[in-house]
Amino acid sequence: MLRFENVFFYRESANTISEVSFDLREGEFAALIGENGAGKSTLCRLCNGLLKPASGRVTVCGHDTATVSTSRIARDTGFLFQNPDMQLCQNTVYGEIMFGLEYALSDPEERKRRTGEILELFSLDGGRDPFSMSRGERQHVALASILACKPRLLILDEPTTGLDYRECVTIMGIISRLHSDGTTILMVSHDMEVVADFAVRALVLSKGRLIADGPVRQIMKDKKVLDEASLLPPQIPALAMLIGGDFSDVLTADEMAETAERAVRQKGARK
Amino acid sequence: MIRIKGLSFRYSGGVKNALSDISLDIGKGDFLGIIGASGAGKSTLTYAINGVVPHYIRGDFYGEVVVSGLDTVKAGPETLARHVGSVLQDIDGQMVSSVVEDELLFGLENFGVPHGEIESRIEESLAAAGISELRSRDIGTLSGGQKQKVAIAAIMALRPEIIVLDEPTGELDPQSSRRVFETLRSLNEENGVTIVVVEQKIMLLCEFAGRLAVMSGGKLISEGRVKDVLMDADKLEGAGVNIPRVATLARLLRKKGLYSGDTPADLRQAEAMMREVLSDAAV
Ligand SMILES: Nc1ncnc2c1ncn2[C@@H]1O[C@H](COP(=O)(O)OP(=O)(O)OP(=O)(O)O)[C@@H](O)[C@H]1O
Ligand SMILES: Nc1ncnc2c1ncn2[C@@H]1O[C@H](COP(=O)(O)OP(=O)(O)OP(=O)(O)O)[C@@H](O)[C@H]1O
Ligand SMILES: [Mg+2]
Ligand SMILES: [Mg+2]
Repeated sequence: MLRFENVFFYRESANTISEVSFDLREGEFAALIGENGAGKSTLCRLCNGLLKPASGRVTVCGHDTATVSTSRIARDTGFLFQNPDMQLCQNTVYGEIMFGLEYALSDPEERKRRTGEILELFSLDGGRDPFSMSRGERQHVALASILACKPRLLILDEPTTGLDYRECVTIMGIISRLHSDGTTILMVSHDMEVVADFAVRALVLSKGRLIADGPVRQIMKDKKVLDEASLLPPQIPALAMLIGGDFSDVLTADEMAETAERAVRQKGARK
Repeated sequence: MIRIKGLSFRYSGGVKNALSDISLDIGKGDFLGIIGASGAGKSTLTYAINGVVPHYIRGDFYGEVVVSGLDTVKAGPETLARHVGSVLQDIDGQMVSSVVEDELLFGLENFGVPHGEIESRIEESLAAAGISELRSRDIGTLSGGQKQKVAIAAIMALRPEIIVLDEPTGELDPQSSRRVFETLRSLNEENGVTIVVVEQKIMLLCEFAGRLAVMSGGKLISEGRVKDVLMDADKLEGAGVNIPRVATLARLLRKKGLYSGDTPADLRQAEAMMREVLSDAAV
C-alpha cells in the first residue's frame, strides 16, 4: 500500500531523510514517532507526492510518486496536515466539507448527502465559521473533511494535537473504526499513550533515519531507541519496567491490574 | 499577583459567553495549571490576563482583572507586556521575525533589556529550549515543534514576572515537553516567576504544577492543590479531562479490592502503590 525503498531527501539544513525503507501493507496501522525535527512531516509529504525523493522510490497504492500526479495520489490518500489552518479555507464548516469532497464525488447531490452524514457523525454545526472556533474545534473540522472522502490510505500528521481528551478519544475511535474497516493508516504522534493504545507497529525516525521498526509493544520498552529519538514510554509501561518480573511485558492499566491480581492470588494460595 | 473577579466575556458575534463569572486569585510565585475541554475558555482566560482581551479582541467584558497591580482594562497592552510574557496557542501569529535569533532579539530590545546582557540571555534561553543549533535558521523552514521551542525561548529570555503559556508542548516530543516544564520549574523556584500554563497533558501538570484549575463551558469548575483536584475523578471526566494512567490504575486496583490508599499523581507514587499492593500479597 505504501512502500519506501532506500529513500533520500535533502534540504539546505543539516537534517534530511536518509536511507529510509519500509513497507506498509494494506490494513496496517503504524505510528511514526521521533524527536522534533526528525523528519516525520517531511516523510509524510514524501508519501503524498508533495515532495519527491532525491533518490530511491516511494510507491503509494502501486503508483510511483515521482511519475504520477499528486491529484491522482490524493484520490486514494487522505492527508491531515500538522496545523489544521493549512487546510481550512472556506468560511463555513459545511463549505469546508463540500470543498474537500470535490475530487472524490462528482455528483453534487451525493456530495451534499455525504456532507450531511459527516456533519452528523462529527456532531458539527455546518453553519459555523471555522476561524471563530477554538483550535481543537478547527482540528475536528479538518479531520472530518478528510474522512468524508473515505480514503484507502490515511496519512495523519499529529491528528490529536490541540484536542482535548474527549475529542482525542472520539477522533481516535473514528480512526480505529476506519482501520477495522480496512483503511491503512500512518500516524505521526508525540503522544505515546495514543500510540500504545491504537497503533500496532511503530516506525521510529531519528535525525532522518529509521532507527527502529517493530511492534509498538516492543518499542515502548526499548530504552535505547526511545532515548535516541527523545521519546519517553507511556506511564504504565514505564511503571512496568520499574516493577519488573511478571510485569515487564505489561502495556495497559488493565493488564497491569490483572497481573497484580494474579500475583496476589498466587501468593495467597501458596500461603 | 493576578486577581480575577467576576469576569465574564463574550466575543462580539459570539452566541454565548466564552467566560462566565470567573473569580481566581493567583499569588506571586504560584505555578498554576489550567486544563479543560476544547472550547472551555482556557485561551480566552489567558487573553484576559495578558490584555489581548479586551484590547485586541473585542467583546462584552464584565468584571475585573488586576495584574501586578494594574487594571487590565485601564492599562494598555504594552504596559502589561512588561509584566506578563505570553506564549500563545497559535504561535505562527506570534512570530514577528524571519530568523530565530532576531525573534529573541526583538523581544529583548523592546523589553528594554540592557545591551550587555542580551547575548547571554539569547544563548541561555536557546540552550534551555534545546535549540542552540537553530539560532540562524529561517523560522519559516522549521518543523512544528522547533517553532514552538522558539516561541518559548523568546519569552523565557525576557524573564518577566509572570509567564502565561497556552498549550506550549502541544507539538513537542515527550522529552522536550518535560524539559520545558523543568525549565519553567526552575524559573518558578529560583527566580520566583509566576507561571500560568494551559496544558492538556495532565501527567505533566500533576508532576510540575502546584495548583490546578479545571474549566468547563466557560466556568471554573474546580481549583486547588493538584492532589485535591485529582481526587474528584468523576468531576474531571465530566469536564472532558482525563486522569493520569496511574490514577486509572489505582481505580482498577481499588475495584479489585487490592488497594485502598491515596491516588498516585506520578510515576514515583505509582511505584510505591504497586509495591504496597504486591507486598500485601506477601503477608
Ligand atoms: N522548508 C524547509 N527548509 C529547510 N529545512 C526544513 C524545511 N522544512 C523542514 N526543514 C528541516 O527539516 C527537518 C525535518 O523537519 P520535519 O518538519 O520533517 O520534522 P518533524 O519530525 O515533523 O518535527 P516536529 O515533530 O517538530 O513536527 C528539521 O530539522 C527542519 O528544520
Ligand atoms: N474570535 C472568536 N469569536 C467568537 N467566538 C470565539 C472566538 N474565539 C473563541 N471563541 C469561542 O469561545 C469559546 C472559548 O474558546 P477558547 O479558545 O478560549 O477555548 P479553549 O478552552 O482555549 O479551547 P482549545 O482547547 O480548543 O484551545 C469557544 O466556544 C469558542 O468557539
Ligand atoms: Mg512535524
Ligand atoms: Mg485554546
